[in-house]
Amino acid sequence: MKTKQQPHSNFTETARAKAVEKALKDFEAIIGIETHVQLATMTKAFCSCAYSYGDQPNSCVCPVCMGLPGALPVLNSKVIEYAVMLGLALNCKLSMNSKFDRKQYFYPDLPKGYQISQFDIPIATNGFIDLDLPLEFGGGHRRFGITRVHMEEDAGKLLHTGTGNYSQVDLNRAGVPLLEIVSEPDMRTGVEAAEYAAELQRVVRYLGVSNGNMQEGSLRCDVNVSIRPIGQLEFGTKVEIKNLNAFSAMSRAIDFEIARQAALYNEGKADEIVQETRLWEEGSQKTVTMRKKEGLADYRYFPEPDLPEVILTEEYVNGIRDSLPELPDMKRRRYEDMGLSMQDVLFLANDVNIADYFEATIATVPDIKLATNWIMGDIAAYMKNEKLSINEIKLSPQELGELIASIKSGTISGKIGKEILFELMEKGGTVKGLIKEKDLVQIVDPVEIEKIVDKVITNNPKQLEQYRGGKTKLQGFFAGQVMKESKGKANPGILNKILLEKLNAKS
Amino acid sequence: MGSRALLLLAPATLAERFLVNHFPKYGFQQAFKRKEEMLRVGVRNYSVHSSLERPNVPRLAETARISLTAQEAEEFAPKIQQVVDWFGQLQDVDLQSIEPAIRADTEAGSFREDSPETFDKREAMIAAVPSYEEPYIKVPKVLNKD
Repeated sequence: MKTKQQPHSNFTETARAKAVEKALKDFEAIIGIETHVQLATMTKAFCSCAYSYGDQPNSCVCPVCMGLPGALPVLNSKVIEYAVMLGLALNCKLSMNSKFDRKQYFYPDLPKGYQISQFDIPIATNGFIDLDLPLEFGGGHRRFGITRVHMEEDAGKLLHTGTGNYSQVDLNRAGVPLLEIVSEPDMRTGVEAAEYAAELQRVVRYLGVSNGNMQEGSLRCDVNVSIRPIGQLEFGTKVEIKNLNAFSAMSRAIDFEIARQAALYNEGKADEIVQETRLWEEGSQKTVTMRKKEGLADYRYFPEPDLPEVILTEEYVNGIRDSLPELPDMKRRRYEDMGLSMQDVLFLANDVNIADYFEATIATVPDIKLATNWIMGDIAAYMKNEKLSINEIKLSPQELGELIASIKSGTISGKIGKEILFELMEKGGTVKGLIKEKDLVQIVDPVEIEKIVDKVITNNPKQLEQYRGGKTKLQGFFAGQVMKESKGKANPGILNKILLEKLNAKS
Repeated sequence: MGSRALLLLAPATLAERFLVNHFPKYGFQQAFKRKEEMLRVGVRNYSVHSSLERPNVPRLAETARISLTAQEAEEFAPKIQQVVDWFGQLQDVDLQSIEPAIRADTEAGSFREDSPETFDKREAMIAAVPSYEEPYIKVPKVLNKD
């Protein structure tokens, strides 16, 4: 839900939100999501071609992924490893024995005329995912079921030129390994669906199995939406929505579809809701019909004869289970136990890089509250302005820890701390170094401060008179002058105490 | 006692041809041998019940993208049916107590390390593509998957 989108007309947003709210009074929305995750392996699923997004078209190809006659697939062992990691992370039951099947259909981006996939014995089934809804939508904990996870290969890319009666095929992506994740139809709102997708993204990034990027196509979600009158047991007709490029688009598309289907029901036209695939149009913010399918596709699945059985041993699975990193939900619970508020928890744990940064900082200096405040406040603002990720700022977590320690110990004032933070983020360097270089050590000696206060008071007799005449607000002026004189180093507390004494002395 | 007990255990297939109480005087084992002989000698019975679906040849041709004339479809239908029925004999095997296998092979997985290798004859492959417009493969415009 954190992707930036073009601001949409407020009218449409509120009007649609109202329509959905009204619809959900009479109807229950049943939402399921199919997600394809492109795995971050070095090579493709069934051949040793490398793959990187953005390469020259048709440059990473070989007879296997081009589907040339006689070429045979050989499975990349990393694909199984990543599939098991994800299956375990999604709390699934693993099939210790599974196989590959051929899903047969003809299309220009499918060189072999079939896709190697897993049909009836997927590698993982029956899992669930726990997540927390964003606070701006009411928060709350949810658990959504996962029906299955299976391994398959991606097709190439088909580009349609605007004019002309031909299209163009780039086979770089053909054969890239995918994991398909099918959810139970447990989601009930667009917000829940979007957060489910966001959590899947978090999980695959935490595991390191994919960079889960919707814009690049390494995370693709198709949504199935149906509605039924509240209380009815029978499911309504299911509509599939494709072409969703962001989590927010998922949410808006679902809202649109709920409103559309509800309107048809209310007009007595429920039978106009047909099982079909619709495309989300980002421009007009609505779903539109693709050509209606005539009947279901017949993929003529049969076991892939060129690939052996996939056999997992207890040992292998346990090894992977033991080396899984801490998952987002576990981290959120742990942060909650540390005493952080839900808002802090969601901010810190949602991005694995920020979580690592936070943990490295508190390893240096165990002040959770201060570390949180700095990261969520000044550092987050800087990252937003400069459009940088936390890994790109020059302030290391260790130095942030050092900064916090210096302020805590009174070596420098909080105000000075804020000032050098900016320089540290931009140019790097060490806290100790900067303090020394710029002579920033806080003045806490009352005698020293008294000298400066005396000087300032002597130099500003007019203001002194005014103050003693009743303008007590001028204390701020004097304090400012002392600060200036001391180059910001005077300890504010001690400064004001002495200042007040002196100002009120001869009245 | 032995031969009586064996009679009771005679497999169902034999019962089709031989009534239990009309066992020929040479005993059940010999009777079984005769059935075996019949099969070996090539007495194929094409009316073996096949619970497999009759193939719809025009539809098969459509999904396989092989063009057949109506006459060809008609000609091929019985030949395809024969092949199906030949495999159909497997339906007779008693599988009641057998655990289904996932695959027919016994050799477990052979895998590949995840290390990249560039195929060294890429240009030759690209050159063999019948319709190539650098850097893409040129194909007729197709909008709908089937």
